[in-house]
Amino acid sequence: MAILSVKNISKSFDSTEVLKDVSFDLDAGETIAIIGSSGSGKTTLLRCLTFLEKPTTGTVAVRDEVIIDAADTTKLGDELIRERRSHFGFVFQSFNLFPQYSALRNVTLARELQAKEQPDFKANRKAILEEIENEGRELLAMMGLADRADYYPHQLSGGQQQRVAIARALALKPDILCFDEPTSALDPELTGEVLKVIRSLADQKTTMIIVTHEMAFARDVADRVIFMDGGVVIEQGPAKEVIDNPQNERTRHFLARYNEH
Amino acid sequence: MSFFTSLEFRTVIEALNQGFLRTLELFFVTLVGALPLGLIISFGSMSRFAPLRWFTKTLVWIVRGTPLVLQIIAIFYVPGLLGVYIWGGGDSGRFAAVSVAFIINYAFYFSEIFRGGIQAVAHGQTEAGLVLGMTRRQIFFRITLLQMIKRIVPPMSNEIITLVKDTSLARVIALQEIIWMGESFMKGNQGFAGLVWPLFFTAVYYLAFSGIVTILLNRLEKKLDYFRV
Amino acid sequence: MKKIIAILLAALMMVSITACGKEFDTDSEYIKDKGTLVVGITDFAPMDYKEAGSDEWVGFDADMAKLFAEYLDVDVKFVEITWGQKINELNSKSIDCVWNGMTLNDEVKAGMATSVPYCLNAQVLVVPADKAADYEGLTDLSGLNVAVESGSAGEDAAVALGANTVAVEKQADTLMEIAAGTSDAAVIDLLMAGAMIGEGTNYDNLTWVLNLNDMQNLESEEYGVGFRKDSDLVEKFNAFWAASLADGTAMEIATTYGVQESIIAE
Repeated sequence: MAILSVKNISKSFDSTEVLKDVSFDLDAGETIAIIGSSGSGKTTLLRCLTFLEKPTTGTVAVRDEVIIDAADTTKLGDELIRERRSHFGFVFQSFNLFPQYSALRNVTLARELQAKEQPDFKANRKAILEEIENEGRELLAMMGLADRADYYPHQLSGGQQQRVAIARALALKPDILCFDEPTSALDPELTGEVLKVIRSLADQKTTMIIVTHEMAFARDVADRVIFMDGGVVIEQGPAKEVIDNPQNERTRHFLARYNEH
Repeated sequence: MSFFTSLEFRTVIEALNQGFLRTLELFFVTLVGALPLGLIISFGSMSRFAPLRWFTKTLVWIVRGTPLVLQIIAIFYVPGLLGVYIWGGGDSGRFAAVSVAFIINYAFYFSEIFRGGIQAVAHGQTEAGLVLGMTRRQIFFRITLLQMIKRIVPPMSNEIITLVKDTSLARVIALQEIIWMGESFMKGNQGFAGLVWPLFFTAVYYLAFSGIVTILLNRLEKKLDYFRV
Repeated sequence: MKKIIAILLAALMMVSITACGKEFDTDSEYIKDKGTLVVGITDFAPMDYKEAGSDEWVGFDADMAKLFAEYLDVDVKFVEITWGQKINELNSKSIDCVWNGMTLNDEVKAGMATSVPYCLNAQVLVVPADKAADYEGLTDLSGLNVAVESGSAGEDAAVALGANTVAVEKQADTLMEIAAGTSDAAVIDLLMAGAMIGEGTNYDNLTWVLNLNDMQNLESEEYGVGFRKDSDLVEKFNAFWAASLADGTAMEIATTYGVQESIIAE
């Protein structure tokens, strides 16, 4: 059963249509890579799923429950949006770590705030906070950053910052983790450490959507690949098939150009 | 040595202290009132509701585009001239009127600094908070506010030092702050007339106070040095 | 945000409605009702000033104002004002009268209801004592840079006699102009000159040389008390002043402060 079902999503900014009728399904434990040239609508698609943009048409369902329906014009309250968005984790191209907090606190802050809203928080305050901190440290250790827990973002390299951001997204245990070009803002020598982390997440059957320019990585790690161009899904299928043996002319053209680099 | 123990010196210093106390009162009342009000105004000037935004921006233009002295005179005298007597004739009424004028004036100056500070905080910070399930309120108080404060400390320091000196404008409606007191000895006060030095001596007070304020603000800046925005 | 603005506006309206309060037919009813006569003054020896170490306003004007309040059967309260704002102070009711050795010039007569004159004054030219001889016998002030108090009778006189005037905020500031060498001379009230220059003051090297009223063949200036336009307190004051002259209290107080020669006693 598909954990995520995206149907007929379109998105226009003023009169420019950046997404046209995009549909795809994602199974639990599956990793999808979305590839395509800049401006093909990949990032906008991710942002539409996570309520950072509002699609013009289409629906999004998580486990058969419709969470976004562009045809429904009733205004969702902030609370409902928060609840529905919690299915997703999001890793930004530019990390967006909170500069005033340590790596550990970046990871634990959102969970702490949520814990504080629970009725039993006051009674078990100490135990709950301890648990959150321990889990935060574990996540950082998983990212290979156990010794960087107390560093501030500006004291970390780009690759380290992005790994903290991944830990931060994982801390909320989302159903689906979205990556928006996670290595594009990094120096080439730092992309490896981030890709390695994502690869290990895939090995653990984390459900992920990864917008990326790293073709070799997409081929090896993703189960499926979606190629987009001009806001339209041109081709989708098993990763190795699409990348090694593209059927569509535009996919071939894109991959050929890519391989020249 | 004898001058510093003379009746003249003691009388003048006592009067200047009294005036300076008034100056300090005005300074702190203005800060306490204008900082939160300025934040509220900055939200108005960034509102997504266009009429409120334009209304606020017009007020910013009026308040920043007219002299503070004029605002003080208008706030103190105009209600009475229109038949609405809100201030009364005593010292407390004058102080209240001057405080209102200063709070409004500085709130609008502060609001522009706040607006710059808030808008300078990268939009990605808000989005990061949103996708982590934080409420708008949590994002403002937990994420944006401190980054904004770090950005606005230098321009705020300038405004606050200016405020220390601007308090002297209050004497236009006879609030007896330190410059008023200093000048009073030229014309005659408590049996001393034609004294020029008290006026210039007020500079010692201003310098000492603005020095302390500068040190405190520098400390705050240092304190926020642990992270970069 | 919109709510906050609405609340602020509502609060402002409440204030204005409650503040309007009662209407009175006459000024004296208004004073009686609140029980206090608020006297607008500046620190101006020997008319209104404080003795060293004392917090009480004394002087010829201050003492007479206390008696006048007693005569009206109300309390008295002295408030220091900025001289340039005296008419606004009256009209906005932050004070009830200006009683501070006020020269009855056109501005004052146009903006206030004024009492009978009670004291005489003249404008005098103040110069450095060591240059006094240079100024003796002048018939006009052309070519001189003369510091004056902005809006004062002294400014009018200096302009009429052809001086280049430098207008400053206070009479006291005019003396600093001479002391600092930024003006050649200053024009101030005779009464003030008595208190502020010469021996025992910071300006012991200054002296006054010319009476500008004589130079212009003008009457001496007259001091009066100013009230709000159409105030019935003018008549009350005039009656009070006549009675004080008749029973000798006015002269007695004038003698205390050394201004008995200037009192207009007819």
